[in-house]
Amino acid sequence: MGERLRTANRRELGGYLFIFPAFLVMLMLVIYPLIYGGYISLFNTNLMARWNLVGLKYYLRILTDSVFWSKIRITISFTFWTVLGHFILGMVLALMLNVKIPGRAVFRAILLTPWLFPEVVVALVWKWLYNPMYGLINHFLVQLHVIAAPISWLGSPSAALPAVIIAAIWKGYPLIMVMLLAGLQAIPQELYEAAQIDGASPIQAFRYITLPGLRYVLVVSLILDTVWWFKHFTIIWVLTQGGPVDATNVISIDIYKTAFEYFRFGEAASMAVIVFFICFLFGYGYRRMLGDEGN
Amino acid sequence: MKKHKVMTISLFVIFLILTALNFQSYAASITLRVLSTTIVEKPEGNVERQIAEEFMQKNPDIKIEFIGVPMNNVYAKITTLATGGDMPDIFTNVPQFVAQAADLGIVEDLDELLGPDFIKGFYPNAIREASLNGKLQFIPWFSTPLALLYRGDWFKAEGLAAPQTWDDFVAVAKKLTKDVNNDGKVDRWGFAMLGARNDSAMSRYNCILKTFGAYELRRDTSGNWVTDVDSPKGINALRFFTDLYLKDHVVPPGPTEVSYAEALELMALEKTGMMITGPHSIGGILARNPKLAGKIYSVPVPKKEKHVSFLGVYGFSISKTSKHKDAAVKYLKYLISKENLLEWNRVTGRMPCRIDAGKEPQISGPVYAGFVKAMDYAEAVPNVAFYPEIIDIEGEAVQAVLTGQATPEQAAKKAGEKIRAAIRRAQ
Repeated sequence: MGERLRTANRRELGGYLFIFPAFLVMLMLVIYPLIYGGYISLFNTNLMARWNLVGLKYYLRILTDSVFWSKIRITISFTFWTVLGHFILGMVLALMLNVKIPGRAVFRAILLTPWLFPEVVVALVWKWLYNPMYGLINHFLVQLHVIAAPISWLGSPSAALPAVIIAAIWKGYPLIMVMLLAGLQAIPQELYEAAQIDGASPIQAFRYITLPGLRYVLVVSLILDTVWWFKHFTIIWVLTQGGPVDATNVISIDIYKTAFEYFRFGEAASMAVIVFFICFLFGYGYRRMLGDEGN
Repeated sequence: MKKHKVMTISLFVIFLILTALNFQSYAASITLRVLSTTIVEKPEGNVERQIAEEFMQKNPDIKIEFIGVPMNNVYAKITTLATGGDMPDIFTNVPQFVAQAADLGIVEDLDELLGPDFIKGFYPNAIREASLNGKLQFIPWFSTPLALLYRGDWFKAEGLAAPQTWDDFVAVAKKLTKDVNNDGKVDRWGFAMLGARNDSAMSRYNCILKTFGAYELRRDTSGNWVTDVDSPKGINALRFFTDLYLKDHVVPPGPTEVSYAEALELMALEKTGMMITGPHSIGGILARNPKLAGKIYSVPVPKKEKHVSFLGVYGFSISKTSKHKDAAVKYLKYLISKENLLEWNRVTGRMPCRIDAGKEPQISGPVYAGFVKAMDYAEAVPNVAFYPEIIDIEGEAVQAVLTGQATPEQAAKKAGEKIRAAIRRAQ
């Protein structure tokens, strides 16, 4: 009995030893920054010479500030349309690439290209495309007589957010396309053959075979994509810096400005902690809505 | 005997290795890390690198290692390096960042390191801008006084004189705005307006604001910080500025998208005839379009109540944590020697802050005449830690009017309230 217990303990210890390196990495790269961020949020600090404890003052101020919530609304709007765009475009392209057509590998490579470009490059390319003086978009629209004169897409409060969302959709759809394509290829062909024999239409097959078959891939992709784009900074910053006025001022830009332009690190950290909980809620909500069935 | 021979050879080899190691460590016993924003610019970077190379040749024991950072990211980069305990020996500093850098506690007091005799060699207003509470925070390298850059050849062709007042300015801007290729659409504009929400654009707007007699931030008679942005003069300045686009139509489409780089491009591509900027822009424009050599002139920024300019002093601080402060001083003194300042000015157009170099005929020639004159109207940038927030608030107000979201009165009122809140928060 005692010998068996000792063996079990040894095995357990071995297990702990095996996970220790991974735990250490997690501790350094994930847990420590999270805790440190929370710690900073309790101080009025420049992270160097000034550390004045303010407690929960910043949280109270932020949570009761209508400007903060208006920026959260812009962020949610940006995230919703971007993720929706990714899923519609990603799904359509994944379904097309799942069909055996000549040159499929070439199409896959081409459609993956936006994902390979750094975000800054993507933003600069779109900035040039949108330019009111030399941009290709204005040039073609004027040539086609769709618009009479060039439009400052990124300088218009009503057009700036859609313009930024289009750039973000272009950058992000390949990831969803690849994930959905992998999910599609895991669905057994027999199910489609059985459906065909039963007289199901392609739409019915999509509704009753494809979508349920993609359920887990959809949940994971949706959580990853939503959280990723909710925190997004680079493309918006390069394209508009949050402007004009506050038209594209998502919360990540506000956090950056508060920290690195106004040097109010404590306040920026409090905003970041709140955003962390919002992202956490997104993940939890998706899992509840779409069901994780023990996974 | 054989044993003795082997031992002698071994000792000789060890001696050679040790000598080589010693020589190597002597050859570059000090490495100075220099964080510079000009090093990533063209043609500035080439000259700066060349000066560093010459310095290293003359001082083989010192190696210069540059960390290039664009100006727009430099405050964030310095803060990150400071909090990470990885400050370079020398770093870029400007009046807008002086208070922040001092607050971070990363700046070495330069008064003792340089000595009063050497400091006397700088223009006094450059020293004033580079100081905080009477202590020199950075060594002024060059200044970029704001003036109005204009296309002298276009002015001559239209029979126009350089504008002295804002009324003159609007009149000439309207004359310059035209359909050059006769396709029925305007393709050339009078003014390259910077309407982006950033420091570069708003420092130009603040110059205009001050010519109207209003200040974004100033001390009142009791020494407290106050703002005039929502005063009648402040509102007039905002209305005048935004009307250039909205009513006078002398500005190309999309001014809220225009930062310094885009404005420079507009001038280089001959799409605009005037721009408020510093002398460094001449180098930038000519680098993009050499055909414009000799066609660009300068004049002080037009006035409503008075002419105003900003010196735009730029320099280098020495880190408090640097272990090579003497070597850093040696390099910086070499950088700002008369010969190097004149070469720097010749290539980049940036004005020297040392009196001996400033007196040279090269600086007072016709191209720079407006900039030299503008230095007489230079006013200091408020060196408070919350100044970047003020700039952002002003940018929001300007953009709100330019995009039709608010009237000048509404935008100015909101900006005034926000600036006062920022002042209260900082106290």
